[in-house]
Amino acid sequence: MSMEVVVFACQQAVPEPDAVKSLWRGGEVRLRVLPEPCSSKMEAFQLLRTLATPVDLVWVIGCEEQLCRYNEGSHRAGGRMAYTKKYLAEIGLEPARVGRSVLTPGDESALAAIIAEISDRVQALGASPLRRAPNTAARRSAK
Amino acid sequence: MVIGEAKPVAEILEMIKDFKKVVVAGCKGCVTVCNAGGEKEVAILASELRIARKAAGNDLETLEYTCERQCDPEYIEPLDDLVKDAEAIVSIACSVGPQYCTARYPFVPVFPGLNTMSIGGALEHGVWKEFCQACGSCIIGDFGGLCPITRCAKQLLNGPCGGSSEGLCEVGKGSIPCIWQLIYDRMKNLGQLHKMQEVKLYKNWSTSRDGGLRTTIREELKQ
Ligand code: SF4
Ligand code: SF4
Repeated sequence: MSMEVVVFACQQAVPEPDAVKSLWRGGEVRLRVLPEPCSSKMEAFQLLRTLATPVDLVWVIGCEEQLCRYNEGSHRAGGRMAYTKKYLAEIGLEPARVGRSVLTPGDESALAAIIAEISDRVQALGASPLRRAPNTAARRSAK
Repeated sequence: MVIGEAKPVAEILEMIKDFKKVVVAGCKGCVTVCNAGGEKEVAILASELRIARKAAGNDLETLEYTCERQCDPEYIEPLDDLVKDAEAIVSIACSVGPQYCTARYPFVPVFPGLNTMSIGGALEHGVWKEFCQACGSCIIGDFGGLCPITRCAKQLLNGPCGGSSEGLCEVGKGSIPCIWQLIYDRMKNLGQLHKMQEVKLYKNWSTSRDGGLRTTIREELKQ
């Protein structure tokens, strides 16, 4: 079953989103990298909406908190990540399907390590249960 | 404002389990301010419901809309276009909202997505507290602007009781300030301590819920 990862990347932390793609070793897993002005642009509802599409793993990459261009941005992104995980736990989807990493802008080896972590995570989780579940409506119409 | 709190998603999922397409309706009033039923919370709840239902192999379609308010009939009207295509409505306004939806759509099931908690205000980001029980004849002018009806566990009008100790109420294991201590401090600040010696004989409770369902009429505004 084909899988997909969406990465929301702060433009300061990851100035060249294409670099993420060149580091990607996820094989068949499709990777989409969406640049954001700051990791704090991501709200819980956007992460949930993305997972609902469905996507198998959603990741946010930001700057280390003390290096955030907008002072509080990266810190806020951390808080939102925590309560997005709570929402997922509440509805029985693995909280590990969202993740967040921070790095010093321009630190290429840190970025490579993050991309490797994302790849490992999606392989470990496997396809989202939203893909695996047969849709009863579809089953009905197939009859 | 009216303080609301999201219901557990499991409870909402159970309410809408028979439906395939629901409107999730928020409110830009009080419940947006207390982060329980505004546009973002509509998007969160709708996504949660879709995810949970899809994972269960029983897809749900959600239609999202956030009304200007849900406590005025004209602001419910914009839901018409969505509701005509939906099987049910989940309203995350205070519990006035679902009842206004019910009035407008007599043949569509309506469910509350929030628990309406109190009339109150924010103490800090993420913390809201009750300040008024809407007794209908406000008496806080006699008590330094503080409400003993809401904030005294025994609703005393001639407090404090014997359980007040070091400024704290005996209810709440030391976590609740004794409102009568606060009233005393306040009256002292205002130089009005002597007023506390006036015995309050009774309060008019007929204006509260005890008097039945309340309707407020402003003749000059009625058309
Ligand atoms: S419907 Fe309720 S929450 Fe919304 S504005 Fe009116 S009173 Fe406030
Ligand atoms: S006295 Fe009545 S109206 Fe006034 S704040 Fe207390 S409960 Fe509310």
